Amino acid sequence: MVPAIELKGITKRFPGVLANDNVNLTVEEGEIHAVCGENGAGKSTLMKILYGMQPADEGTMNLFGEPHTFNSPNEAIDAGIGMVHQHFMLANQLTVLENVILGAEPTKQGGLIDFDTASKHLEEVGKAYGLTVDPFDLVESLEVGERQRVEIIKVLFRGAKILIFDEPTAVLVPQEVEELFRNMRELKANGATIIFIDHKLEEVLEIADTITVLRQGKTVATVKPADVSATDLAELMVGSELPTPQITDAKISDTIGITLDNVTVLDEDERPIVDAVSLEIRQGEILGIAGVEGNGQRELVGAILGTQKISDGSIFLMGDDISNKSVRSRRENGLGYIPQDRQEEGLLLTAPLWENAALGHQTAKPFSGGWNQWFIDREGSRSQTERIRREFDVRTPNVDVSAHALSGGNQQKLIVGREMVSEPSVLVASHPTRGIDVGAQASVWEQIRQARSNGLATLLISADLDELIGLSDVIVVMFRGRIVAQLNPSEITPRSLGAYMTGATSEENPA
Amino acid sequence: MSRLVLVRREQAVSGGQPLAFLIGIVTALLIGILLLVISGHDPMAVYERMFDSSLGSPRSWSITLNRAVPLGLAGLAVAVAGSMGLWNIGAEGQILAGAIMAAWIARIGEGWPSPILITIMLLASILGGALLGLGPAVAKAQIGVNEIITTLMLNEVALRLLQWLIHGPWKDPESRGFPLAPILPDEARLPDLFERAHWGAVIALIVIALFGLVASRTAWGYELRVAGSSGETAKYAGISLKRKIMTVLVLSGGIAGLAGGIELSGNADRIVEGISAGYGFAGIIVAALALMRPSGVAAVALLFGAVQVGGLSIQTMGVSSSVSTILQALILFGAIGAGVFSKYSIKRVGKEQKSNAGGMA
Repeated sequence: MVPAIELKGITKRFPGVLANDNVNLTVEEGEIHAVCGENGAGKSTLMKILYGMQPADEGTMNLFGEPHTFNSPNEAIDAGIGMVHQHFMLANQLTVLENVILGAEPTKQGGLIDFDTASKHLEEVGKAYGLTVDPFDLVESLEVGERQRVEIIKVLFRGAKILIFDEPTAVLVPQEVEELFRNMRELKANGATIIFIDHKLEEVLEIADTITVLRQGKTVATVKPADVSATDLAELMVGSELPTPQITDAKISDTIGITLDNVTVLDEDERPIVDAVSLEIRQGEILGIAGVEGNGQRELVGAILGTQKISDGSIFLMGDDISNKSVRSRRENGLGYIPQDRQEEGLLLTAPLWENAALGHQTAKPFSGGWNQWFIDREGSRSQTERIRREFDVRTPNVDVSAHALSGGNQQKLIVGREMVSEPSVLVASHPTRGIDVGAQASVWEQIRQARSNGLATLLISADLDELIGLSDVIVVMFRGRIVAQLNPSEITPRSLGAYMTGATSEENPA
Repeated sequence: MSRLVLVRREQAVSGGQPLAFLIGIVTALLIGILLLVISGHDPMAVYERMFDSSLGSPRSWSITLNRAVPLGLAGLAVAVAGSMGLWNIGAEGQILAGAIMAAWIARIGEGWPSPILITIMLLASILGGALLGLGPAVAKAQIGVNEIITTLMLNEVALRLLQWLIHGPWKDPESRGFPLAPILPDEARLPDLFERAHWGAVIALIVIALFGLVASRTAWGYELRVAGSSGETAKYAGISLKRKIMTVLVLSGGIAGLAGGIELSGNADRIVEGISAGYGFAGIIVAALALMRPSGVAAVALLFGAVQVGGLSIQTMGVSSSVSTILQALILFGAIGAGVFSKYSIKRVGKEQKSNAGGMA
């Protein structure tokens, strides 16, 4: 059988980076083919080439045996390739139907949009692939999973036979992932060919028929899921033995880094969303907060940082009452922060790395200060950024590229580095390894461990229970704004922790 | 059927900006020839006059500069707010407020030595514009009221205040009933620089350069850019958005106010209703064309001034004011719009597309 896609010897160079180095990829018709690798391994570049967003420097591409070159996504779409983007490209104020036809509107006489034909076609497409969604719902009223379905329908509507899914599960909760996988199997059963970009190993093993692993721009292996374990796959991706989140020695001091005393935060309806939380984290200690998202963790972080007003209680940073201090003064006094959404809260995507390295520390040396304290010290900032790049293994051609040119893992390493080199006494790390690959994850863990043995007091919030259990010295569980349990990580499993998180068990009422 | 699309160049053409600028102007002038021939004028004569009157001699340069000063300062005022994503549509009113304050100082400061009087007048004009910016600033920072609407409405307030002053308390008793304020004393006039240009050009250039420096090199300017590009990021980096909004809108008003003070002290002989001649609104165009960058503001303002002066002078040759206005727009659009081609190239796309790029690219 002629393969649906055959990429041979694809090479793509960017200034200072070899993004794809002689990559080969063969995708059979009607299969789900996973392409996995660490962030920065060249997956996105390869897909951009396949989808016509960037030209390859070398190499050939055959679709169903025919050679093709694409100069724009439109040409790829015409050839039957569709991309389901990770970040939805939908207009929230429009209906599903209007979104689906956007840019491919069927018109009738006089240039009017032919909604009847469009909705009929939409219905056919939905039926053919087993995807249902009400065409007249407003997109803003849809759940995340449903929005993704709209993205998929949008692609099918344009006649795509080959679908590229770019890290589709990154934005979904587990139930939605199952739903997505059902949809993907349905698509496959109806003859579609799917390329699935991901770095979550369990998912890849569950859904893929064939897996191609990329590492540092090269194809390292093409395997069948039955022949490999998750560990094998991870080692193929990283190219070495895998680290686990684990802390070794306990060197917890008696000095308290941060104290929360009865901290209460009210929501817009004056209901407590953080309810009388008291905590103490000593230097050299990592306190993990477990909890289903939306149980007050975000607001608790806001209260500590100073972006959220507290209505009751007080917060002490190294013994000083900071309850009414500004964000800036808290940060200047040694509070470090790794935000949970690095792109929204942690970076200026269009600014160069050295400006990003100054974020939150712009009023302190070496970014400004000295004799001309009003001015940004560009040389100082650059060399500080170089230091972060070196010590925290941020892979980038130079420190003048803008932040969006970095892969997610490298962006996160930059943020972690930025916070660590300022030598904080207390660190708030909110989902520090969310959405990054195993290599970067290991490096972030290592940095947090290092900082801990140097006496940092760390508040760790994570949805990754293995990470919480592996890194924390003590775990507390937040449920409906309250701390409902304090646990010893060496005595619990992800499963028992999960029971506390859903409120099924509590300390007063152990299962 | 084939069609043309803009494709982003992988790398901007080096030295492309000045070249594109020239090509743009030449194209605009060529189209203008058509326009002038149709309307029955000799294009070469009109262009010659246009150039001579705006950039052809030191004297015409001086006239152009005098126009460019309020345009540049108003443009900077809008750009200061714009660099944080705020729109100050009230520069026109702030110019009036600045002029009123400066005129008031000139009234009470009779007999003061000229340098002191002028300095205080200009400082007062900054204060006047800043005061008018203060209301929208507080409303925006504290309760999130849209600054576009508040600044726009205050234009009217400033204009009515000015009208009341010159019809009432400030009316010249010797004006025989005309609503005119008395002529300013000589001590209140900005000294000449050369020909008809006054020192306002130097002041404006210093202010623009100063802000450019502050915006690009200081921690404050850095925070301004952070706040302008992402509110969330700014919050977590310890930047107070409220304070930034306050400072930026008040500063923007102050800069526009200074334009009014300079216009009064340098160009006008008394305060009149039309003292601003729409500079505040033109400033929005200047800032937008300059992409909110201070360095761009100075250049665009100069070009804008020259085109305005040239456009006015050809009307004395019998070119109608509408033709002149179209010509002015063509030149501005050509000169600045062409810059896009140093970053993008035009590409012919072979066959007709079933779907077009919208939303997919």
